[in-house]
Amino acid sequence: MSLAFLHAHDCSEAHADAVWGVSWTKNDTVVSISADGSIKQWVSASGESYLPPDQPEYTTPSPHTLGLVSLSVSADGQRALYNSLEGLTCLWNLETGKLEGTFESYMAQGEELEPSPHWTVSLSPSGTTYASAGGAGILEIHSAAPESFGRRLSSVFSGRNKFGMCCSYSPDSKRIALSSEIGQVSLLDVESNTFTTTYSSHAMSVRSVAWSSDGNLLLSASEDKRLSLYDVRVSSAKGGGAVASFSGHSSWVLSVDISSDGRLGLSGSADKSIKVWDIAARAAVTTVQDTGEVWSVSWRPRAPSAGSAGAFVSGGEDGVVKWWRGAGTGG
Amino acid sequence: MHEAIIEDVPITKRDIYYRDVNLYRAQQTVDNLVDDVAATLNLERSDLNVRATSKGTFCGSVLSIHLSTGEITQGTNSEPALIPVGEDVETFSVDDDLAWVLVVEKDAVFQTLCHLNVCNDPSLPGKGLLITGKGYPDMATRHLVKTLSDCLPSTIPIIALVDGDPYGLDIMSVYKFGSSRMRHENQKLAAGRIEWMGILSSELTGLGIDKDALIPITDHDQKKALSMLHRPTNIMPDSWKKELMHMLHNRRKAEIEILYDKPEPVLQSDSTRSLSHSQLKHFVFVAQALDG
Repeated sequence: MSLAFLHAHDCSEAHADAVWGVSWTKNDTVVSISADGSIKQWVSASGESYLPPDQPEYTTPSPHTLGLVSLSVSADGQRALYNSLEGLTCLWNLETGKLEGTFESYMAQGEELEPSPHWTVSLSPSGTTYASAGGAGILEIHSAAPESFGRRLSSVFSGRNKFGMCCSYSPDSKRIALSSEIGQVSLLDVESNTFTTTYSSHAMSVRSVAWSSDGNLLLSASEDKRLSLYDVRVSSAKGGGAVASFSGHSSWVLSVDISSDGRLGLSGSADKSIKVWDIAARAAVTTVQDTGEVWSVSWRPRAPSAGSAGAFVSGGEDGVVKWWRGAGTGG
Repeated sequence: MHEAIIEDVPITKRDIYYRDVNLYRAQQTVDNLVDDVAATLNLERSDLNVRATSKGTFCGSVLSIHLSTGEITQGTNSEPALIPVGEDVETFSVDDDLAWVLVVEKDAVFQTLCHLNVCNDPSLPGKGLLITGKGYPDMATRHLVKTLSDCLPSTIPIIALVDGDPYGLDIMSVYKFGSSRMRHENQKLAAGRIEWMGILSSELTGLGIDKDALIPITDHDQKKALSMLHRPTNIMPDSWKKELMHMLHNRRKAEIEILYDKPEPVLQSDSTRSLSHSQLKHFVFVAQALDG
């Protein structure tokens, strides 16, 4: 099978610097974060800035002084959690436009001697907590409730004192995946709050991971130019657990997503291209050329209508958020 | 220092250190103490009769330095010459046909360019002056660069080539804005006209450099970069901030040597003074290809 994806449109006004994160929300808007320090929301159908009806004072948060590196939008599309280069973490209500919480993770908290600044953050499906990781390979869970935003609830060492590049709650809330700069992907079991599994399919940084909607599959994107697919129900023997490997990119894979029906993988790469993968067939079905490194990709959450391949959004080095739609299926 | 003033015998910071190595333990301690005393008394270090020592070198027949002793340090186009300490210098004398000034961070790069006769190369838009401070520049080097910045016509570009890492950019910052430790002497030493030519992280992909050829940043680099990102805008321009952030996000840095072994360069067209910049870059690439 081969699919074609066409460039549908761009955001109405580009970010002033690279887009480092995008997320297509349940409400059919797209949230984007940029190296220019700003977070924006766009209407998917048109690419225009999102302005809710009856709320003329709705604004996006003022840009940070430093770039934003991590974005996690709640399952219901109500809130966006995002984090800056130095570890200033904020929770923005997408409906009201209000900032509901800020947390300076680069400041030592309470009795701590050393702060542990966040790099990557992920909102839990319930929206009550968020996970974070940073330089020391520790996965932390914090309150996401506005009245106690940022308060650390737990802290678990992954076993390796290495930079945590990406953490992500599974959609069923059972696990949190943490990927490291040296390639490991570890799974924390939320209930027991312990790491139960570590995959070693990559030896180079894993910059992004994505869950399938049923929480059974995990896809990783690595600087080794490959994606790995893990079935988390299979207990991992040493270094095992990866059920497939996807090659084809000629440079670092920077970002990854899985479609809501679990059939298609999506990857953005430093080779300036985006690839769509047929997961069952273990093969790329299309490659889309962009003009610069593609830092972030996100599938439209709504399942595509029959006969259509769906749609996705991408963000990259040129600061432009781009929408792509499937041109119908091939043979 | 008191002795040096009373007896009118100048000493260097190195001399002070060696008077009592056990007490001071490190040269840096003496350096800091001397600077602190000078700042407290609102004097220059030279007023305390503590002489600078020089480590910076230059190359280029266009420059001759007249010392207060009457001697002349004459630059040549293929051999480095030591930059004399500021207090010994009477005047700098520069030939009319000087067309460009290039300040490089590292001695190794300076040596390569010097021995390749860059200063007098026909493919470049005229005669040049090459300078290196061998890392963080001392006051003598900064004094020379500052003087050139102030006195040369603005048609003559003064550009810096440093490693694409936080320390390289900090060295660039010392030349252009002054050293954070010596704010009280900054008026004398900030070379406002110096421009950052590279290496810029943002141009590495365009230069055909494989991301895997870049060096991972260290914890030190990360801390240094984050601390630099918090500097006020007047000493941390937006374009520099952008480069530092991209460096942190990519988690990679680049040394000038990464340009070695590159075949043909891809010339950048976005610089306003792009003619001499791109020609110089071209030359640097070609020179390193020949050498490496």
